This record gives sequence, C-alpha cells and structure tokens, in this order.
Amino acid sequence: MSTLQASLMALTLAFGGMAGLAFAMDRHYAQLTQRREAPARHRHALRWGGAALLVLAALPCVAAWGSSVGAVAWLGFLSAGALHVAWGLPYRPRFVAWAAALGGVVGLVALFVSFAAAIGPR
Amino acid sequence: MPSLPAVRSRLPPLPRRVEGGAGQGRFRQTQAWLHTWCGLWFSWLLFAVFLTGTLAVFDEPITHWMTPEHHAEEAAAAAAPKPATADRAQRLAWGKAYMAAHHAGAPMWELWPSDADGGGSLTAYWFDEKRQYVSAQLNPSTGQPMAAIPGRGARATLGGHHFVDFHYELHAGAVGLWIVGIAAMAMLVALVSGVITHKRIFQDFFTFRPGKGQRSWLDAHNVVAVLTLPFLFMIAYTGIAISGATFMPAPRLVHYGTGDAAQQRFIADLNGGLPERSGRAMQVPDLEPFAARGQALMGQPVRAVVIDHPGDAAARIGVYGWNGEADALRRLSPTSGMVAFSAATGEVLQVRQPGGAEGGTASLAQSAMGGLHMASFGGWAVKWLYFVCGLAGAATMATGAILFMVKRRGKHLGEFGGATARVYRLIEALNVAAIAGLAIACIGYLWANRLLPVLLEQRAAWELRSFFALWLLALLHAFARPPARAWREQLGAFALLCLLLPVLNFSTTGDHLPAQLRHGDWESAGVELGALAFAAFAFHALRVMRRRDRAASVSTLASVA
Repeated sequence: MSTLQASLMALTLAFGGMAGLAFAMDRHYAQLTQRREAPARHRHALRWGGAALLVLAALPCVAAWGSSVGAVAWLGFLSAGALHVAWGLPYRPRFVAWAAALGGVVGLVALFVSFAAAIGPR
Repeated sequence: MPSLPAVRSRLPPLPRRVEGGAGQGRFRQTQAWLHTWCGLWFSWLLFAVFLTGTLAVFDEPITHWMTPEHHAEEAAAAAAPKPATADRAQRLAWGKAYMAAHHAGAPMWELWPSDADGGGSLTAYWFDEKRQYVSAQLNPSTGQPMAAIPGRGARATLGGHHFVDFHYELHAGAVGLWIVGIAAMAMLVALVSGVITHKRIFQDFFTFRPGKGQRSWLDAHNVVAVLTLPFLFMIAYTGIAISGATFMPAPRLVHYGTGDAAQQRFIADLNGGLPERSGRAMQVPDLEPFAARGQALMGQPVRAVVIDHPGDAAARIGVYGWNGEADALRRLSPTSGMVAFSAATGEVLQVRQPGGAEGGTASLAQSAMGGLHMASFGGWAVKWLYFVCGLAGAATMATGAILFMVKRRGKHLGEFGGATARVYRLIEALNVAAIAGLAIACIGYLWANRLLPVLLEQRAAWELRSFFALWLLALLHAFARPPARAWREQLGAFALLCLLLPVLNFSTTGDHLPAQLRHGDWESAGVELGALAFAAFAFHALRVMRRRDRAASVSTLASVA
C-alpha cells in the first residue's frame, strides 16, 4: 500500500470516527438536529461506530509504515481528523456529518478492497 | 455560564478533604495559577520555537526556494545522462591516494565513493589541524581533485536551515540551547497543569464556539491543545531528550572530566570507542575488501569509508551504509548500518545493523527520540502531519497569550498593584510583537533573500540580520501604537508580504507558480502556495477583527444614545 493511499484512508477514517464521537455528545447532536438530547440508541451507535473507525484507521498506517512509525502516524491522523471536526462543527455541522459519513464509508470500502487484494489469491 | 450546574449534576460529587479545607478545588486553583503564569512568561518564546520549528519541517523546500540559481543546474543534472565513472574499488583507491599525498597527517579520513546507486561523485573529508571538518571533491572518472566550484553567481544563504537553528538554539549556541531547553521544560509544566486545570476536558473535547469573545479564545486554546496533546508532549519531551547530554552533564563530567580532550574521548566512546594509537607506522591497506565485507555484513550499499588514525598500525576502518527510502519510511531511528574493522588484522570490531545504535537500549531510545522529533521517518505524509500539529502547537501558545489579555482588557485584576496598567501594556505589546511580529520576520526573511544583492559580502548574515531587524521593528511598532491598531497593522503587513511573495519571486527571478507546477517543481510551488495560504488566514483574521470592532462601536453608540 502506498503511503498516499494509506494517508487518505487513515485521514477519512479518523475524520469519520471523530465526527461519530462528537455527534454522540448532546451538545454536538443538538448542532446537527436541533434536538437537545441524543436518543440513547443514536448515542451508542455513534460512539461505538466512531470508536471502531478510529481503531480501523490504524490498519492502513501499520500496513504502510510498519508498527512503530505506523503508531506515530496513526496518532497524527487522529489529531488531524479531530481538528477538522472541531473546526467544522460550529460553522457547517451538516457538512461535517455528510463528509464524515461519506469518508467513513469510502474509507471502509477502500480498506476492505486493499486488504482483500493483499490476502486474496495471486 | 448557565449550563454549568446542569453538567455538574450529572457528575458524581467531588471528594472533598475535610481537614484544612484544601480539597481538589484548591489544588486545581493552584494548578490554574501555575498554568497562567508559567504559560504566559514562556508563551512568546515557545510560540517562536513552535512556529520556526514547524517551518523547519520543510527546511529543504525552503532552501530550494531560496537558492534559485541552483534550479537550472538541478534540472540539467537530473536530465543529463550520468557520465561514465570508475567502479568503487578504483574510486576508493583514488581517494586514499589523494589523502596520502595531500593530508597524510590528518587524524581522520572519510571517503564518500559514490551515491546509493553506485554512481555520483567522489568526495574526501578530513579534520584539519584545528579539528575543522573540511572536504575536497575529486573527479569520479579520473580521481583528480576538481577546482573548487566558484559561486557562479549563486546567492549565499542559510536557507531553511535558519529555522532549524533558530528553533533549538536561537542562533546563540549553547546559551540558546539552554534557553530553549528551559522553555521546553516550562511547556511540559504548562501542559500538565493545563490538563489538570481543564475541568471538562472530555465534555469540551470538540467544543469551539466562535464569535463569543473571551469564550472563543478559551475554546480555541483548549481545543487545539487537547486534540494535539500527544504530539505536544512528544515534541517537547523528545526536544529535551535529544540534548540530554548537554542538559544533564554531571555523569559525563564525573566520568570523563572537563576540557576538550575529555569531550573528544566522550564522543569517541559514543561512536564505539577508538583504539589507542600504537606509534608503529603502517600503510593504509586497500579499502575495497573492507567496503565489500562491510556491505555484506550490514546489508546496505556503502555510503562512506572512515579511517581513524590513518598511517598507524592501530588504524580503524569504519564502513557506513546508505539508508534507502524504505528504511526511512518504516524506522523511527534514523541511523544507517555500520561495520568497523581493525585495519591491521581485518578483524571485525563492531557491527551496527541499520536503525541500531551503539551503547545499548538507552542509546537506541535516544536515537529513536531524535528521529521522532525531527520527523526523519515516514516520508511526506508524516512531514505534513508534523506541520499541521506544529501549527496547532503554535496556535496553543498564541491563543493562550491572547486569552490572558482578553480576560484582563475589560477589568483589571490588579496582580501588579499600582504598576498593573503598565505591565498589561507591556504584555499587549509583547503579544503583538511575538506573534504577528515574528510572522512578519519569517516571511521578511524570504523577502530579504530576493532583495539583497546576490554578490553582497556576508550575504547569509545579512539575511539573518534582516530577520532580527524586522522583528525588532515590529516590537518598537507594537509599543508605539495602541494595541488594537498594532495588531491590525502588523497582521496587514504580514498578509501583504505573504500575498506578494510570488510576485516578488517573479519580478526578481522570472519564476512563477504556473511554471513551477508545469515543471513539477513542487518544492518552490509548495513554498509559494503555503505563503498564499498564510495570507488568506491573515486576511480572514483581519476581517473578523473589523467586523467585531464595528459591532462593538455600534453597541457603544447604542448605549451612549
């Protein structure tokens, strides 16, 4: 996996995951839906889904850079994803939500495809 | 803050110590005090260290932009077919013959026979009588020394290395290193006390509320620091660890004593220990067999062959490897492979695998920390992550310093008794000069590179002087003008200097962005696009300030009416 592919995957997954964690919080859920509180079902789904994306973001990092450099890069991408979420939320919450959903899905598909290609029959 | 009780009620009550009434609240207050003052007094210096350190991530592209005379040469060299050169054995023999003929008495010879692919130049390095590191280029097809290449009208410049030097020693040598080291310690103190002070670190994890004055500054300060906390800790800690031997000299002084000779023995031991001179003369043997064996043992192509005590029977031959792109991508420790031999017997004295370090795990840890700090690994993606996180770090210092004053603009807290107003004025001015002024000095340094005459004496020093002179001017300006005006004028100057940088480059060298993109000169294009991005940011900040001032003057008018 090239480092460019890995970077894009890790960044989209980290952004999607961080947005999930953010929208699981009442304050940011309210920015998106105008409802004061996130229903428990949504909250749990967003929180666990977000956490899972963050964990998955480590995979392309380790694949492209090995475990030691990959761990550093992963932490860096988590910070970069979170900064984008925090910056976007007050101005364009709906855009953040759509971009995160799209990024999460595209990141997951890309991850699946590249790993299937790596372990599949040659 | 109306929402505070609601949030608090969902949390378990804080445990309180009964005796003395010194509970957690009290502890948090002391930490807040520590954070405020430790943070404030070091914020200006730390902002400078962070901003220049962030630019230092891209020191090579900046150097490239600052040496336009080399662009044509580089392009021609890349396009031209490589001239036929002799093989490594022949080149090592030429290097040895040159050193034996001209610098036989040097205590160390270092020959670079080729680049990683076996082609390239042939260079010899050695220590002269004053233990200065000097070099000579030899022709790789004839072995003859090449005439020193005259400047060919190239401008002398420190290039991007200025930012590297400044961010860790302020161009002040050991004194500067100590000052930056103390500031880094203060930053660690501020980080820990800041985390303790921040009551709602998880509730406010993503919270940024713009357009709300003091609240927004606090949000911004918290959010950039919390979201990049792993990076901030890492960069401050590794920054100190790199210079650990300087900051904690006691063990070295006790073990080796003081003075130059002791220092040299220490460095020799760090490099695996040098054998003592025997006093018996012995010709330097043929080097190629050593190079070939070294390459086989460490598994890397040969970068350099180093001979310590040449001409003596105790001579040691060290063979160093090249780190390939894949090595740099996946390893934190930036060291290459190395194999040392006894010149007399051919015995292997030492083998260092690529990425390893002499001196056990502690040395290896320090090497990895050095790599971690300098982002020598991982390629462009990691460099960009460091750039973004570094800017976030600079933003942490800047928003912290500004927040201190925003909090006090409305009401004096009287910390300095009768002098409070004057101290506040001082802090306001220092904020402007340290933040906007430094930014002007940095971009002004690039302007000086294009505006100073190419053949000026001491040209590199004059570029540096321009940097400091602009910074000093910004400081004087910050004292001379009312704070709000000083902010606006300096931000405006910064924005214009950034915006016009591509114009300056075009009018002085004829190079411009579209051409750079067409030639695939990403380094130059990156510098100019980066300048434009900073310009956009500064103009945005100016617009926000104007909108806020207009709103403020409207509300004052309303209240007067």
